Amino acid sequence: MQRRVLILTAASLLLAVILGQLNHYLAAWQLHAWCGGLFVTFAALRLGYRTGAIAALMAGLLLDAGQPVSFGTQGFLFLAAHAVIFTIRARAPRDATIIGVMIALIANLGLFLILSFLRIDPSVKTELAWLRAFADLLVSQIVIALIAPWFFAVQTRLLESNGANLRDFSRGAI
Amino acid sequence: MPPQRFDQAKPFLTLGIALLAWLLIPTALKRVTRAGFFELQAPIATTASYVRDLQDFWSLKTRSKNELIEAGRDVARLNAAYESRLQQDAALRSEIERLERILKLPIPPGFRAEPARVMLRDFSSWWQQMTIRKGRNYGLVQGAPVIYGGGVVGRVREVYAYTAVVELVSSPGVRIAATAEGDTRPISYQGGVNPSYGPAVGVVEYVPLDVFASPSSPRRLVTSGLGGVFPPNLTIGYMTKVEPSSDGLFKSGDVRLDPALSALNEVTVLVPESTPPSR
Repeated sequence: MQRRVLILTAASLLLAVILGQLNHYLAAWQLHAWCGGLFVTFAALRLGYRTGAIAALMAGLLLDAGQPVSFGTQGFLFLAAHAVIFTIRARAPRDATIIGVMIALIANLGLFLILSFLRIDPSVKTELAWLRAFADLLVSQIVIALIAPWFFAVQTRLLESNGANLRDFSRGAI
Repeated sequence: MPPQRFDQAKPFLTLGIALLAWLLIPTALKRVTRAGFFELQAPIATTASYVRDLQDFWSLKTRSKNELIEAGRDVARLNAAYESRLQQDAALRSEIERLERILKLPIPPGFRAEPARVMLRDFSSWWQQMTIRKGRNYGLVQGAPVIYGGGVVGRVREVYAYTAVVELVSSPGVRIAATAEGDTRPISYQGGVNPSYGPAVGVVEYVPLDVFASPSSPRRLVTSGLGGVFPPNLTIGYMTKVEPSSDGLFKSGDVRLDPALSALNEVTVLVPESTPPSR
């Protein structure tokens, strides 16, 4: 399990670096891509509960470390998203990439809205703040739709190259 | 309706237990873990920024010699202008020091200017920050003001081994004590909501009633020097609109920040000197 968690954390680190570079360039247009849903979806759909939960927490803490939020905020948001996806995953053909992408988009929408409610200062022009937040959300969803299949493939290849058989994980593997 | 299986609630039970355990972890341990997670990512981001610099270098190498000669001529003209400004500045400084000695005024704290390269920009609707390529290795301290040619950039929020995170003046929630140019009465500046595809903005409160500004005749907003973080008279932005607030005692309005803030590559950190400058 430890090796799988390390692999997933390394994949999350790669994604965080890529998104960081993307946001560096998007900053010139005052745009931002936040793809929290993508960090949790694969592990929640395809792996056992404990492995996925630890990987989700680690990914959240990686993001928390460089951002002005209480340490653990995104970590626990990811953990909660992971719990929700894990609970409902038996009702969907979870091996299909398109389903994974759709779940990542829905998870990202939920996480983005929660984080926006936590972060947007109600004393500063709330309607404009939400307009900006929705622009960022649109960019984030487009980025997820574009890179999610690649990111799922990277995670699959990394796990398989380290001897993990993804077919072994079932709904009851808590 | 069949009863809900217990194992469906198990992930949420685990989540609750993990959250409880997290709340009980000492703050010092969380701080160390946070720094550890940041330092883990710092070398990758730093390497990426060096690669970007290398790309810029090679793209500049493709420029023709004529372009370089023109750029060199422009820089020489600027240098000449700055040289004369420096001489005026030195004369003014010695005059200020002479007057301070006569009036026995307290010596204001000095700053050491530390130029730093921007390695990562992160401008969301929730926060506006950038990471610079200098940290504790250059003596940067938390809360140090950060400036550039156009005025205030922000202040250092976190300092790590060889990087630091700067919270921008445009970040919602950042407050600075300011004044209108040519006025000494304090105004409260706060980072505002930054629209997409446009320059960053801020808001001002407690503006005196006799201060006027409009988009056609904006008024420069500068740091007041109150609060001890920023030296006085650094440009924050331009007030483009001020209107009487609901209480009628003051005005409030909008501030337009420099669009260059979104594309800065080089900034200067003003590191407070521990001992006042000697006379």
